[in-house]
Amino acid sequence: MAGLSQFFSLNAQILYWIFVAPFQGKPGVRASAVFHQMVNIGVQAVPMVALTSMSIGVTLAMQGAHELSRMGATSFVPDLLSLSLLRELAALMTGVVVIGRSGSAITAELGTMKVSEEIEALEVMSINPIRFLVVPRFIALVIMMPCLVVFSNYIGFVGGWIICLFALDMNTMSYILRIVDSAHTMDLASGMVKSVVFGWLIATISSQKGLSVSGGAEGVGKSTTDSVVLCILVMLVVDAFITACFFFIEAPVS
Amino acid sequence: MSEGPIIEVKDLVRKFGNRTVLNGVSFTVDKGDTMIIMGGSGCGKSTLLRHIIGSLKPTSGSVKIFGDEVTTMSKKDLERLRLRFGMNFQFGALLQSLTVGENVALPLIENSKVDPEIVDLVVKLKLELVGLTGFENLKPSEISGGMRKRVGLARAVALDPELLFSDEPTSGLDPIMTAVIDQLTLDLTRKLDMTAVVVTHDMTSAFRIGTKMIVLGAGKRAGTVIAAGTPEEVRNSPDLEVQQFIKGEPDGPVPLKLAPEDYIVRLLGQERPKSATS
Repeated sequence: MAGLSQFFSLNAQILYWIFVAPFQGKPGVRASAVFHQMVNIGVQAVPMVALTSMSIGVTLAMQGAHELSRMGATSFVPDLLSLSLLRELAALMTGVVVIGRSGSAITAELGTMKVSEEIEALEVMSINPIRFLVVPRFIALVIMMPCLVVFSNYIGFVGGWIICLFALDMNTMSYILRIVDSAHTMDLASGMVKSVVFGWLIATISSQKGLSVSGGAEGVGKSTTDSVVLCILVMLVVDAFITACFFFIEAPVS
Repeated sequence: MSEGPIIEVKDLVRKFGNRTVLNGVSFTVDKGDTMIIMGGSGCGKSTLLRHIIGSLKPTSGSVKIFGDEVTTMSKKDLERLRLRFGMNFQFGALLQSLTVGENVALPLIENSKVDPEIVDLVVKLKLELVGLTGFENLKPSEISGGMRKRVGLARAVALDPELLFSDEPTSGLDPIMTAVIDQLTLDLTRKLDMTAVVVTHDMTSAFRIGTKMIVLGAGKRAGTVIAAGTPEEVRNSPDLEVQQFIKGEPDGPVPLKLAPEDYIVRLLGQERPKSATS
């Protein structure tokens, strides 16, 4: 329970440093630090996100085609793709990639800094470690997650297109039109909301796990494992929750 | 400025579980003093320092810096207070992700709005002080432990603090560098009127720079001050443990070897069985 209150306190402090402190004449967050993290967390994750999304796109199209062909409805493969990628899979797969790449790195980095007295040194120099270390990573994740998810959507559609073009005899034009036609704004919105929430959760959970490390190298290792496991668990639970929200909001319409 | 002592520690007690690390430590440091805290390894020197700078909270007792109580201070006030002192950590505690130069510049950039050119100049100046000119662009992992320590010192004095805390600044340095760091501390305190608190167990450097000293005890007297005063007073202390410590003798009040009976008790957790004596 102590962990939970620390978690909420960390969230509150992050929001304070972003939205309140700059207007009180306190030192703000360095743009250069944020950009540095955006490159680390976002740009460098592009190849991995591309590979993952491509695989998911291809797999979805093949499996969908297999089932739909029994009803002679292979032309609905793009509909299936756009619905599942936009709403769910792009955000989820990107989340998994970012947790593996950046969530673990954040915990390990902050944890190592904690055990080597670096965090204490910052505090003694009157530099708030949350402003200096956590907030840039937080902002970077919350901005880069949606970007990565949009990118992931595109690559996923390319994966689907490969199958549709070469295995299902669908031409490129009709594939694109079909995708555009079947995608609703709400689908995209749902995925985007998820991506921002996932970014938020990954940043806060992994930072908190990092800052609460104790006990040398072994402690860092343990916390990093905990952080990755907890991030994935929480992400999946929250995903279900957000999906439920959209499900009940939209239900009366359809 | 406030009159009276710069630092005033009174009856400081700190317990970790059942272990009492600090047991009623009291002393004062006046402006311009160089206070040396001595004592064997693991006797609570660094812990004492951490309490003074407010990183740790004591079980009981009080610590006043510039007349303000540190132990009950709010985070905000502590942050403001910390701008007035520099801390040199035992292992440097440099940020590994930044270069040496960026580390020294950090307090300047984060706590004041200074022109980048001036920051650059100050960094060069401070690194020159500790004999590390030209190392600005190396990472802390690319320099030796002793060099890291000196960078830590350069960073601690980057803001020209009124008060400098130094945790074993000379351990692991060669004799020449030890003398350089000692001279630097002397210059800072004598010429710039800085007050310093230095934790060390290097006797030569302690008597070279100290104007006041306290010695923390070991064993049964762990965590208590067993000698205090000027270097001369400490050197002439009648206390046998202090004498053993200053002269660096292996045997004395801190025993080299236990008596056979005590040893058996410690080893077996009981008295020697009668039957085994024959």
